Amino acid sequence: MNIDTKIFCIIPSYNEQDRIKKTIKDVKKIIKNIVVVDDGSSDETYKKAEETGVTVLRHVINRGQGAALQTGNKFAYDNGAEIAVHFDADGQFVANEIPRLLKPLFSSKYDVSLGSRFIGDESKMPWTKKYILFPIARLVNYVLLGVKLTDPQSGFRALSRKAMEKIVIEQDGSAHCSEILYKANINKLKIKEVPMTVIYNEYGQSLFHGKGRKKGGIQIIKDLLLAKIIQ
Amino acid sequence: MFQQIIALMVIGFFLARIFIQRKNKQVSRTEFLFWLIFWFLSAMVIVFIKKIDILVADLGFSAAGIDVLLYLSVAALFYLIFRLRIKLEKIDREITKIVREIAIKK
Repeated sequence: MNIDTKIFCIIPSYNEQDRIKKTIKDVKKIIKNIVVVDDGSSDETYKKAEETGVTVLRHVINRGQGAALQTGNKFAYDNGAEIAVHFDADGQFVANEIPRLLKPLFSSKYDVSLGSRFIGDESKMPWTKKYILFPIARLVNYVLLGVKLTDPQSGFRALSRKAMEKIVIEQDGSAHCSEILYKANINKLKIKEVPMTVIYNEYGQSLFHGKGRKKGGIQIIKDLLLAKIIQ
Repeated sequence: MFQQIIALMVIGFFLARIFIQRKNKQVSRTEFLFWLIFWFLSAMVIVFIKKIDILVADLGFSAAGIDVLLYLSVAALFYLIFRLRIKLEKIDREITKIVREIAIKK
């Protein structure tokens, strides 16, 4: 793989009319192929994203962030993407950190690159997340899925084409983060964690709530348990 | 005795309903058979409730036969809800697939 690799950035968005344009503008400086997946927003997100000239796919009804990411993955894969980058639309991620995220994949040694808030000291994380939510999430990931990584719910990630093929996201909601780690693990994909910055805003998710469908910590645990049973 | 007659009348009502529904082709053959057997067994339980009391006591339960049946039906209901939840989850996934196809084809 080299720097000319076909890279697609997938931005799932739900009711992000105020932030979507800036996010696209920031990412555009780094990646040319941007795919915004509007997850059935009831505001002007779709229109605002289209105005920027990037590819915009629209879910006719809200299905959740995991579902939107898989739509983006499928589109990118079908269009010959070698790498897919997942990037949140709410302005919590830093576009300038994409090259650092991509580096492990360029080396061809890794299939999945994950941003981690626990490597380095770049995110000013609320203490409730740092000391309560994430230790629980790590434990759930380890007990239910056998996955041991520093950041259990990182949404900033890059997947190689091989990883896109092996990891088909079936969790429509926020449980997709754990699902991706689990599928990467069972498919023996090589994972590298890199430091990332997260700018926390009021739109993040908590134990009980989150924006959009199937969000919140408790819902994630419920979804993972149900998936385990269905399997 | 009076309670048993009432219970059998209720069962008779549901049996009549399922026969009518089958006649109007509102239920499938399998579903019809399931409910037919279900209500038939329920009627048998009502008719032989005294014998069930003895059976339950012999098995070591302190409660009356009807109580044990009630516990069993609660457990069965929980199981059915669980099955329903799984079915809903699968339907949910199918909906997502359709939504995805529409998004990509447009």
